[in-house]
Amino acid sequence: MLLEDAIITEHGGMGDPQYKIWRLVLKIEMTKEVKPGQFVHLKVSTGRDPLLRRPISIAGIDRDKQEITLLYRLKGKGTEVLTQAKPGEKLNLLGPLGQGFTVPQSGTLYLVAGGIGIFPLLPLAQEALALGVTVHLFWGGGNQSFLESAGLSFWQALDIAVEVSTLDGSMGVQGNVLDLLRKHELAESGRVAVCGPMPMMAAVSEFFKETNFEVEASLEERMGCGLGACLGCVCTLRDEQGKLRRGKVCKDGPVFRAKEVVWDAAL
Amino acid sequence: MQPSKELAKTIKTEVKLGPLTLKNPVLTASGTYGFGEEYAELCPVERLGGITLKGITPEPRLGNPVPRLAETPAGLLNSVGLENPGLKEFISSYLPKVRELPTAAIANISGFSVEDYVQMARALQKASGLAALEVNISCPNVKHGGMHFGTDPASAEQVIAAVKAETDLPVIAKLSPNVTSIVAMAQAAARGGADIISLINTLLGMSIDIEKQRPILANCVGGLSGPAVRPVAVRMVWEVSQAVDLPIIGMGGILTWQDAVEFLLAGASAVSIGTGNFVDPCAPLGILDGIEEYCQRHGVSAVSELTGRAWKKNH
Repeated sequence: MLLEDAIITEHGGMGDPQYKIWRLVLKIEMTKEVKPGQFVHLKVSTGRDPLLRRPISIAGIDRDKQEITLLYRLKGKGTEVLTQAKPGEKLNLLGPLGQGFTVPQSGTLYLVAGGIGIFPLLPLAQEALALGVTVHLFWGGGNQSFLESAGLSFWQALDIAVEVSTLDGSMGVQGNVLDLLRKHELAESGRVAVCGPMPMMAAVSEFFKETNFEVEASLEERMGCGLGACLGCVCTLRDEQGKLRRGKVCKDGPVFRAKEVVWDAAL
Repeated sequence: MQPSKELAKTIKTEVKLGPLTLKNPVLTASGTYGFGEEYAELCPVERLGGITLKGITPEPRLGNPVPRLAETPAGLLNSVGLENPGLKEFISSYLPKVRELPTAAIANISGFSVEDYVQMARALQKASGLAALEVNISCPNVKHGGMHFGTDPASAEQVIAAVKAETDLPVIAKLSPNVTSIVAMAQAAARGGADIISLINTLLGMSIDIEKQRPILANCVGGLSGPAVRPVAVRMVWEVSQAVDLPIIGMGGILTWQDAVEFLLAGASAVSIGTGNFVDPCAPLGILDGIEEYCQRHGVSAVSELTGRAWKKNH
């Protein structure tokens, strides 16, 4: 983990502007340490408003060029300020942080993404592929235009099966990613990495419950320190004895074993 | 501006707060620094004047549901709700590591009754390896929580006196700013026998998601910290330090050395960095360097000489 001023090498909107997706490439020192599923905590401004850093998942790792790619959606004040940053400028970065996905050494890996939950999955796909793992992507989005704007071409360039669903039926199966999964004849066993909205991840976890698949989910929560000190970004976990405890999304996660996660947010 | 470390070597940084001596006046605030491990890789613990540990209660607590955080202009609302492993687990799993920290470790205790505080004070003594006990009578995030003791002077005096009677550690009373008269609360803590006063805890606040038309925090309300509260905190330190003859640890929105110097001039003998750690995990180091350089520039040979320079009688 490092605190460093990373140089922006590329930064700009990606795809159709209505989806407000941005791509940020940073030159950093710590690419060797980065594991799929980890994130960085970025200071988006030097001023006091916005005050806190913004956690952004790592969507690409290029160890030769010592670069990481971050994809994010412009959503609030922090990301709005971030979009102003220009190539050549520096951004203060804390990272890489958190526990990433387990990279399988063989067998089958299903990637299940909802919307922009696709972003942290690409480095995992690449590492698994390099090890000879059979990778299969299931991705649900609103429509074809969104999927293309959120990086569909990156995925089509990989040597993997890509299956998509769209709510409006403009591409792939009409419906959500669960509808897509239900149509698929599952392998006997393997690993699943899921990232998307909480209800979607809960449903995917449930879907694989009676199978021989081990599911890992990447969670999102409003973060403070990013280091596990402030207890701002917790989730609830249930161990095998049924005992509840808190997990720190920033430090124990963001990736957790899905069967341990209590998806009911009211606890 | 990065002040030069070389320049500042001759400044005496040690500060004495009654029975508590710190190697320098820069502490970290409770609830922002865990039990001292999380930042160690980024901010060398031995350079800190001390660490105030995450607040503990007699029993373990899961704390409040999420969202627990909401950012506001130059500020942060939190409603963690005193999530902690409980006294027993703290002593068995955390204290052995805490006592090895190369700086002063201050435990922070919270309770729901006088008996709760007494139980924890009894268990935490000098022999525990702690440097002091901070009594949180000001947590805004739990129902019937510590804040009841922090808003009623008679209750504050009672709980501080009860803790003082049970422990041989220096007792720090952490005050809530959510009162009409902070001086009255500080005087009550002094009557109870507090050795040191720390202020301020967070200001009760709220933020609403206007699209969802409901509060952002699951707990609806939370404690506001960060630069947004700093002027309130400076004013309170200034008032209390002139009215009560106890050393003060000042905190509330300190991000830079300039902010820290403001608190010292207002009457604090030491400062605590809280939310500032989230913005810059190395903030305490830059603040310490900056304070030393400031002393150099103003011809002050000891940091302690800055305390209260902005008091009324001094200008």
